[in-house]
Amino acid sequence: MPRLLSSALALRRDPRILKIPPYLSLLCILVGAVWLFLLPLNEYSRRTYISENALLPGQVHTYFGGSDQNVLRAYKQEVNSLVGKSNVEINDKLESIVRGLGLKTARQNFTYHAAGRTFEGENLYAILQAPRGDATEAIVLVAAWENVKHEVNKNGVPLVLTLARYFKRWSLWSKDIIILLSPDSIAGPQAWVDAYHDAHDSSRVASLPIKSGALQGAIAIDYVQENRFKSVHIVYDGVNGQLPNLDLINSVVNIAGGQMGMGVALQEMWNHNDKYPDRLRTMLRGMLKQGLGLASGPHSSFIPYHVDAITLQPFGEGWQDEMAMGRVVEGTFRSLNNLLEHLHQSFFFYLLMHRERFVSIGTYLPSAMLVAANFTIMAIFLWMKSGQLEIPAASTTESSDKDDAPTATTERDLFLPLAIVALSGSLSAIPLYIFNHVPELALTPFFYLFLLINTLFPITLSLIITTLFSPTLQQYHLVKSFSLLLLGMFLSSLATLNFSLAMLIGLLSAPLSFVKPSSSPVSRIVGFVLLNLTSPPAVLLASAAIWGLNVGDILREAAVAWHVTGTYSAVVVWCVWWPAWLAGCVCVLGRPGRDQEEEKSVKKA
Amino acid sequence: MRQLFSFALLSFVSFSSLLSSASAAAADYHEQLVLRPLPLSALLASFNFRSNTSLSEFEAHNFRFFPRSLGQILQHAGTQELHLRFGLGRWDSESWGARPWGGTREGGTGVELWAWLQAATDEEADHKWLTLTNALSGLFCASLNFIDGTRTTRPVMSFQPEGDHPNMTAADTHLLYGVLPHEVVCTENLTPFLKLLPCKGKAGIATLLDGHKLFDASWQSMAIDVKPICPAGAECVLQIELTIDMVLDIDRSKRPRGNPIPRPPPGHELPCNTSKSYHAPDTCFPTDHQANQDWTLSQIFGRTMKGTCPLTDPAVPPVCLHVPDSRSVFHSNGVLEKKNLDRVSRCFEIQPDVDFEIVLPAPEDESAVVVKPETPLLYAERSFTGHGQERGGVQTILHNPSPDTEVEFVYMESLPWFMRIYLHTMSARIQGQTAKDDSLIKEVYYRPAVDRARGTQLEVRMRVPPASTVFLTYDFEKSILRYTEYPPDANRGFDVAAAVITILSPAAYNLRTTSLLCSLPTPDFSMPYNVIIFTSTAIALAFGGVFNILVRRFVAADEGPEVGLAALKKRIQGRVGLLVEKLKKGKTGNASDESGTKPDKLETVDTAQSIEGALKE
Repeated sequence: MPRLLSSALALRRDPRILKIPPYLSLLCILVGAVWLFLLPLNEYSRRTYISENALLPGQVHTYFGGSDQNVLRAYKQEVNSLVGKSNVEINDKLESIVRGLGLKTARQNFTYHAAGRTFEGENLYAILQAPRGDATEAIVLVAAWENVKHEVNKNGVPLVLTLARYFKRWSLWSKDIIILLSPDSIAGPQAWVDAYHDAHDSSRVASLPIKSGALQGAIAIDYVQENRFKSVHIVYDGVNGQLPNLDLINSVVNIAGGQMGMGVALQEMWNHNDKYPDRLRTMLRGMLKQGLGLASGPHSSFIPYHVDAITLQPFGEGWQDEMAMGRVVEGTFRSLNNLLEHLHQSFFFYLLMHRERFVSIGTYLPSAMLVAANFTIMAIFLWMKSGQLEIPAASTTESSDKDDAPTATTERDLFLPLAIVALSGSLSAIPLYIFNHVPELALTPFFYLFLLINTLFPITLSLIITTLFSPTLQQYHLVKSFSLLLLGMFLSSLATLNFSLAMLIGLLSAPLSFVKPSSSPVSRIVGFVLLNLTSPPAVLLASAAIWGLNVGDILREAAVAWHVTGTYSAVVVWCVWWPAWLAGCVCVLGRPGRDQEEEKSVKKA
Repeated sequence: MRQLFSFALLSFVSFSSLLSSASAAAADYHEQLVLRPLPLSALLASFNFRSNTSLSEFEAHNFRFFPRSLGQILQHAGTQELHLRFGLGRWDSESWGARPWGGTREGGTGVELWAWLQAATDEEADHKWLTLTNALSGLFCASLNFIDGTRTTRPVMSFQPEGDHPNMTAADTHLLYGVLPHEVVCTENLTPFLKLLPCKGKAGIATLLDGHKLFDASWQSMAIDVKPICPAGAECVLQIELTIDMVLDIDRSKRPRGNPIPRPPPGHELPCNTSKSYHAPDTCFPTDHQANQDWTLSQIFGRTMKGTCPLTDPAVPPVCLHVPDSRSVFHSNGVLEKKNLDRVSRCFEIQPDVDFEIVLPAPEDESAVVVKPETPLLYAERSFTGHGQERGGVQTILHNPSPDTEVEFVYMESLPWFMRIYLHTMSARIQGQTAKDDSLIKEVYYRPAVDRARGTQLEVRMRVPPASTVFLTYDFEKSILRYTEYPPDANRGFDVAAAVITILSPAAYNLRTTSLLCSLPTPDFSMPYNVIIFTSTAIALAFGGVFNILVRRFVAADEGPEVGLAALKKRIQGRVGLLVEKLKKGKTGNASDESGTKPDKLETVDTAQSIEGALKE
């Protein structure tokens, strides 16, 4: 043991050891990226299973059907007659129907302001009190009048009304059933859930007049398709990449796929052959949605409150009708009704790659952690390097022969590097504020203006720094070290909360590990151009071009998400990634003032 | 001899029965069922069984109508007055109006028990309370024995003795109140309840008490009240009153027992709104959820009533029905219908051995189907605010519907110790006003919780002005339990007992809120398991290594016995030589001497073996 220690200590002094970290960090990035691509393999992913035995999915016979279809047709007529009417008129009619069923109803007003727009509306909800229960627990059935694509939920709303009428006849409910009919898919449910947990801003969102017990789960129906459908699409992404308990998804897969004989699709993979490419595509789509952290349906707002929720969307051409969809919901509600405890048994952190295949956090987390670790390794390496005196090449070759020659150390000049990192960090508040508070129409011009400024600003900043302070190479090393240290720290902790976002930012900012000031102007320009290609606005522009979207729309969605659902992806982009990128630009454009440094040392001597 | 004995026994029995019938006038018993149709196809059935026994007979262990099993428990535990409640479901006061018996014969969800005990000191009272809860737990098959110190409180303002206690002094009488919100009331609690009745469930109104129907009710409450009553100028009597109230859903009760599944009815049986323009054979807008008020007694309770209990006081009609006089009600033969003067109720006098049945046909006059229920004095609704597992809040919404009368009441909470309330956050405000109104709370009695020893007791005397809604809120912090303190279903959350509201003015009325489910920070219980497995493995590995080092002696390779094929050959040769030598000598060797050492291929030698080797050398 002592021999091992002494040899390790000896190794520490070896100049060769200082050459390893850049390669080590490159290896970390590569392993992290390759790791991700191994996950869809059978060896690394697992089959899903029902962990909570109380759920017993697909074990009950469902009776929704028969003459209930006549009722459904009538409700559909009523709903069709309401299309195009105002929110209040719609709610008046729906409330009269729900009241006729013998349910207690209430309404809630909400107003949100985002991107210069006002999102206002009135939620209508009804409580079906458990016949023998005592309001300690509740499950929610949501049908938004419009889905996220602003199509009228023409079948979903009548189906929910019919189901409410059907559920009222059963006496076996152990939990109250809350029917939520919101005017839209994002703001309405968000306002309702916030108010249910008294976490709302009462100046914009009204309190709920009637309440039930603790919410145990929520199912949203987004049923726009007019003709018969083939299978059910499960949307499960929550706000900020939070996911519902895997047991809930598994139950629906079991009920819809097993009991009802209709397929289940995830992440818009309409035809999934369970082979490697499809699995990878499903996983990457899931990761992208998780990374963006936007609300993907009415269910998304429930998940931050630890209420497991999913949206069911029928799709495809097939022979399944509304009643089959109703039976899926009935079966799922019967399963949730069986729950003795809140869903907790199964996974909350997972990546799904097929309806019956997933990887859990223990398997996928190392990839993001390795990517984040690369920044920390580089930061430590640069810190060590900055503490060593730069020895002229001739003397290095001489001293390297001697084994015990200690590396010359020097004092670190910390003020300027810290000031630069702090400046870039504090400047990040400007884009964050601008893009969240500018009106919708001004978003696109502002974006292009910002893109221009963003390209020119590092050059200006670098010019100012070099002319005013003429930083040394050591100070550039320290700038990079501090900015990478922060980046590594933020990304590794973010990886446990939102793995995909950490992975995305980590890979996009990977070039920052390898930038360094250069004396040749050509390499400086090439480095700066390359770095500009991976700048946050450039990546935004590029992804908008790839998916054929409008940049203004993306920014509007982001602003709405920030104000309504509290999505923090913008904070990560502007306050974690962008400052690191800016510091990287300062480094790559840096001209280490070696001459002045030498002059100083001469003067001192 | 045997015949003589049986004769003696027989005569004794007949004598004693003669005696009992002679004194029946002193100890009376009566039972009554009140049926009250409620709006939205609900029916309230209130069963009441009451019997008195004189205190002197009770103290002489002379039980007649008073159940002996309960009486002995009460005597043993020094109980002066006892109230026991089993509750399930919730009373929908918006639809059903005021509660039966003014809310005095009901408890919150689960089991509630309060009693006045005679004891000199608090410790003695606690000891007697323990005796009482444990004995009642056995008698009623309920987990009353779990009412321990943490679930027991001593209310100051909320409960007043209902009986007369002429020689009661405050010093030696203790009121204790315990509540079990998580207890699920079921048939095993009904059976012992019926056994307390003089006619059991064999005759009279108790024959209608069927577990299937009782526990399918939307709301039900079983109550036992024992209290002494001292009429002026007469001997004090001990009164036991057993009450069962239930709200039955008529639609649900009318489903046949063999086929209780609410399958969709055939299309042509569906009541449709034919005025809709799109009405068609396959499109049916259902007519509104109507008050379905045609029923028969046997449909509702699954059986008819078997006569009357012969012990009951004939002056009290056994069944009464609260429907407007204009509704026609048919009844079986041998029954006398008497309409009361209030024009909204009628009672039935039944022959002792007649099967009683009533039929309410569908009402002709839609306006007078049910008697409009009374408006309650106060509506109360309680819910949690906030989210997360660190802290939360409780909000109670109290609404006074009366346009001109202020309501004054005592609001009592008995909270578990792991909900640590911040009393300074308690505030009351009137709806529509943002500032809190200190004049609403008149008096607060607060006894803070002690961790793992007793729960919080909070009694607030407050008022609600006429036609207004008051929000009473307070915040609390959730404490972290030790991991053995979690129940098996820890992730369900912890039940918080209903708040008890005792209205002092304008009239005596009680109500309870629903119970709440409080989720505490819950560890992942597989984690302790993983830790145990992991540490065990680590310890096993470490122990194995250390033990190995301790019990082995390390020697240099050249010091130890030779290893390898040559050594083996040498040994075998030596053995064979030894054996041959022994055989030659014609002696039999000792087994223990023979046990040689196995060739050790390691560089170490077991201590035992090396010692043995040294001995041999």
